[in-house]
Amino acid sequence: MSTYILMKILESAPKRYDLGIRLLTGGRLDKVYDRLASHIKEGDKVLDIGCGTGALSIRAAQKGGRVKGIDINSQMLEIAQIWANKLNLTEQIELCEMGIAELDREEADSYDVMMSGLCFSELDDDELSFTLREAKRIIKPGGLLLVADEVRPEKIYKKIINGLRRIFFGAIVFIITQTTTKALKNLPEKIRDSGFDIKSIKINRGENFIELIARKP
Amino acid sequence: MRFLRFVVFNALETLLRLFPFPCKTGLIKIGNPGKDSPVFLTCNYHLTVQRVKRVLEGMEAFLLVANSRGINVWCASAGGHLTNHEVISVLKTSGIEDLVAHKKIILPQLAATGVEAKVIKQKTGWRVIWGPVYAKDIPHFLKNSLKKTTVMSGVAFPWTQRLEMAVAWAFFLSGILSLVMIFFWPKSVLTLILLVWGLSFIIFLSFPLYSRFMNSEGKKVSTLFSKIGRMSFQLLLWIGIVLALFAYSILAKDFSLAVVLRWSVISFVVIFILSFDLAGSTPTFRGGLLAEKQLEVVLNKEGCKGAGFCEKVCPQNCFEVDKMEHTASMINRERCIQCGACIVQCPFDALCFESSEGEKIPPETIRRFKLNLLGSRLKKSG
Repeated sequence: MSTYILMKILESAPKRYDLGIRLLTGGRLDKVYDRLASHIKEGDKVLDIGCGTGALSIRAAQKGGRVKGIDINSQMLEIAQIWANKLNLTEQIELCEMGIAELDREEADSYDVMMSGLCFSELDDDELSFTLREAKRIIKPGGLLLVADEVRPEKIYKKIINGLRRIFFGAIVFIITQTTTKALKNLPEKIRDSGFDIKSIKINRGENFIELIARKP
Repeated sequence: MRFLRFVVFNALETLLRLFPFPCKTGLIKIGNPGKDSPVFLTCNYHLTVQRVKRVLEGMEAFLLVANSRGINVWCASAGGHLTNHEVISVLKTSGIEDLVAHKKIILPQLAATGVEAKVIKQKTGWRVIWGPVYAKDIPHFLKNSLKKTTVMSGVAFPWTQRLEMAVAWAFFLSGILSLVMIFFWPKSVLTLILLVWGLSFIIFLSFPLYSRFMNSEGKKVSTLFSKIGRMSFQLLLWIGIVLALFAYSILAKDFSLAVVLRWSVISFVVIFILSFDLAGSTPTFRGGLLAEKQLEVVLNKEGCKGAGFCEKVCPQNCFEVDKMEHTASMINRERCIQCGACIVQCPFDALCFESSEGEKIPPETIRRFKLNLLGSRLKKSG
């Protein structure tokens, strides 16, 4: 799933982001996001961190959620807003330019669901543990944490294949967009250690992409 | 050993200076810092972090490394990669708030185009102190009780920096051109590499010889090649090379017009690429591309209350603040390189950009949309 590194090229050009993602993933990411959004119930209060152009936020709103999408990239948020307007979801989606560092301003036990699509892999260790700590605080008891992201494979040969792919695509992406991704290590453990119960984990065949559903007890 | 490592990294990363080099973000302790130790922040460009650490060696301090995607401070700030968000994130998540008893953070001055001191204060309570442009001035800055001298707040283009640029460009360009050349004329690849390196050193190191022609008329700086009428240094350099080629091939009694022509064209291309908007790639001159889309900084005297943030963040020392009259003025307007730092930082929005057609671009647009490549800020505000 080197395509998830390649999408960084597109991220640097927010306007082409959506089209590019579709081309690169052949709709795979769409399916992942559809599955995640299927956990949203009518009336749920949802927080989408690193919402980007709103792929997850919009799905959650279509399921009847009241969504707050946050991202640090104002240009991506503009595109998300255009989508929300087109689909008549402006009532249900609130978009804010803010980073995970400002999650401490959110009220405790105030969200039914918090979700993150390809956001955790952009955080450093400090930021990730801060985010998980805040997630534990702001999600209601019984509420869900939904994560879709790039991870490091466990099996040696898959590690090697993935490593080679990353060297190749990573180099191209590095030159063009000047960004890097960092595939996550031990994500399920980290989420468990933050006080969540893991409900389900789905890892793709290449062992480099995870869909994770956790519940706050 | 540590020194050797420093030298090796410096050499390697200078060769690859045109590319970003990310390193670990977060908190670094220098010495044994305590509750009152100063807190510095920098970008996560590896070379920068190495150099800042070296300057701070022997002090007790905290160094926060913010995620600028591996890009240097000035480029990252101007390009929207080092913004309020990255600074807030490292302040809040690194645990620094539990380690010191104060809330003062020293930021590199060149981050002022991207990071808003006012927003950092509002959202985190931390007060931003604009430090010197270059890390090497940090010890002096600390001794001077956090006051900057004019030298500390100005960018310069000394021979050390020009050498770095010469090496970076030569490495990159000779690499690309030899890849092309290897298919057409494999025998000449070595000559080509020597030519590129030689020209790169000549052009960058002799910069002071011709730089004054770049800023003539006070404002209009253009690409060197569009000023052929003024006989720019580069053109002379090229003519010199062509004459040398003729002389050599005649003296060597092996005259071949084809060879002379070929090398003339190649050296023209190399000189052209190296000097293309050379002004814009120096820290001390504004770019010359699309002059009609360039923006001028305008100071609205009525809004100005003489707070003096502009004076503190201007890398060209354009401003002077009259503390008695509580007003600032742009005494060195002709030196402005349009980085926009003054506009971003002014707490009273007394500064803005104005296009050549008189259209005003308000501070909030400047704060939101980084970079004015191809006049994109004009489009955004329109």
